[in-house]
Amino acid sequence: MNLGNLDSLTFFYPELILLGGILLVVISDISLKGLRDRVNPLLTLAALLLALFYTLQTDHGSAMTLFEGMLALDNFALFFKAFMLVAGVLVLLGSLHSEELAAVHQGEFHALLLAVTLGMLLMANSAHLVMLYLSLELVSLTSYIMVGYLRSDRLSNEASMKYILFGAVSTGAMLYGFSLLYGMTGSLDLFAIRDALLAQEVVGFNQVTLMLVVVLTTAGFGFKTAAVPFHFWCPDVYTGAPTPVTAFLSVAPKAAGFAILVRFFLGGLSQPAGEQWGFISGIDWPLVLIVVSVLTMSLGNIAALTQNNLKRMLAYSSIAHAGYILMGAVLLTGTGLKAMLVYLFVYLFMNLGAFFVVTVIFNSEKTFELQDYNGMFRRSPFLAVAMSIFLLSLIGIPPFAGFLGKLYIFGAVIDQGLYWFAVVGALNAAVAAFYYMRIMKHMILENDDRPPTPLQISPLNRALLVLLLVPNILLIVFWSPIDRWTANSITLFGGL
Amino acid sequence: MSVTDIVFILTAIVTVGSAVVVVVSRSLIYSVFSLLFTFFGVAVLYVFLGADFLAGAQVLIYVGGILVLLLFGVMLTHRLYNLNLTTERFQPIAGTLIAAAVFASISLAAFKTKWKLVGEKELEPTTQQIGEAFLSSYLLPFEIASVLLLVALIGAAMLVRRRTDV
Repeated sequence: MNLGNLDSLTFFYPELILLGGILLVVISDISLKGLRDRVNPLLTLAALLLALFYTLQTDHGSAMTLFEGMLALDNFALFFKAFMLVAGVLVLLGSLHSEELAAVHQGEFHALLLAVTLGMLLMANSAHLVMLYLSLELVSLTSYIMVGYLRSDRLSNEASMKYILFGAVSTGAMLYGFSLLYGMTGSLDLFAIRDALLAQEVVGFNQVTLMLVVVLTTAGFGFKTAAVPFHFWCPDVYTGAPTPVTAFLSVAPKAAGFAILVRFFLGGLSQPAGEQWGFISGIDWPLVLIVVSVLTMSLGNIAALTQNNLKRMLAYSSIAHAGYILMGAVLLTGTGLKAMLVYLFVYLFMNLGAFFVVTVIFNSEKTFELQDYNGMFRRSPFLAVAMSIFLLSLIGIPPFAGFLGKLYIFGAVIDQGLYWFAVVGALNAAVAAFYYMRIMKHMILENDDRPPTPLQISPLNRALLVLLLVPNILLIVFWSPIDRWTANSITLFGGL
Repeated sequence: MSVTDIVFILTAIVTVGSAVVVVVSRSLIYSVFSLLFTFFGVAVLYVFLGADFLAGAQVLIYVGGILVLLLFGVMLTHRLYNLNLTTERFQPIAGTLIAAAVFASISLAAFKTKWKLVGEKELEPTTQQIGEAFLSSYLLPFEIASVLLLVALIGAAMLVRRRTDV
């Protein structure tokens, strides 16, 4: 079913609420001089929660397109929309008591957070190349500003500059890919592109050109998901950005990048075949993405081994995780897609948790260096235990939630008979265990001569840490709702 | 060779040639000025494609707006002369190889692909069609583009904020 512009508005409440939120925050930032620091976070939180409420309420019957085919509304999009909004809420709460952001004026920060969330919601359901590009650019542009938010900090400025330059190049490559695709199919609508490719039988040199399209567009999506070899910006940007922004970038835009990647490749360059998809003959895009996936996880993990700066190490770790998540997308099966969603869901809580501990420690210690974490267990047992749980979860050790993600992903890979791929993944997980354990060793086993002064944690931060710990510990017991939700979320418009 | 062909080839030479100057020129001023010719060349290419509105917008926005802004930026830069514009890491061999490979693959793709062609079309004004598309099937992208501009504005406001104000 295709809805016109006016009818679509009924299904567009979450986005409209966010848009209203942006405007309200900007207005209150100008007009309420004394109250704005208290009103703005509340307004932002209210907008995000209300949008989340409407997203979960959305009952769309069957999958359909909105706004004359610009957006596809399906369970897959709804999963990502809920994901982005939850990530937005958690990052907002995490940014409230952050010393890095406390030093600067925060009015714009909240407006930008809402804008980037709006962009990600649109990314999750774009079904048209113009919309896909615009929403990607909305997310990118907002992220550049958020990364450079600490204006008097040289690292933050440098990070923002690097991010812009890399972003501009990869978006340019992606657009060139889109233009080739348009030239071959005469359409910008993903489903029309698929039909055109199926109708004309990809033969001869068109195969080479389509491979070029796959590589060029992967540059654009790879940039957003920080996949190797489009990851070069990632360590510097993650190190330079304010930590709450880093936490945000490592989870939400990455997930949005995966949403758009799946939408483009499964929606546009594959066709549903029984229980799975088949790529349109002549365009073996899964091969390209398998190579990217193996490179991403291996390089991310190996580079993380030698890092001594926590933010940099977690940046490389997030690159490696992008590799695992990509494993699910290249299988072309419902199980693979579901595994990807489970992994993303679990990754949200464990990665945000780890970054949040780093934020809290920076608040009082003003350092990201690993050796300054020595003796953390004696100074704040709660923080050390929390960090250990997040890290064990990132490794994928039972009984923590990360195990569930790895179980689903590797299970789906083995289902397809790609044993070597699963072995590469498992070897990578073993390498990753080394550097995650290293952080734990510094926090718990190594002590320095300083007297163990207790570390101050504000009550809000403590509550948020507990909130992030709960899913990490309990998901392994209550996994069936997640299983059902993700199994339900793999319905793509024009797909399975 | 018809007159159209000759005009096209001349335009192409001017566009590509001035784009090369933009990249290799040692002085920022030269780069910015030769960018002027690149922008005009692209506008003429749009005319060749029958995109009259786009050609006009190209001149108005790129030449009239962005180029003037760039010139202001250059004029206000402190050390305008004797700037070393090269990067510290200069890898001529790897760079040439990669550039040659990219050039070969995209030019081969341009010539050998079977494109979906619409054939010769009568030249007709496109402004009305674009306007109608913006308010019907392309309404959502049109609106989201304005959100994008709002974000850019917020970013600009953040950049120029006084330090005492932070």
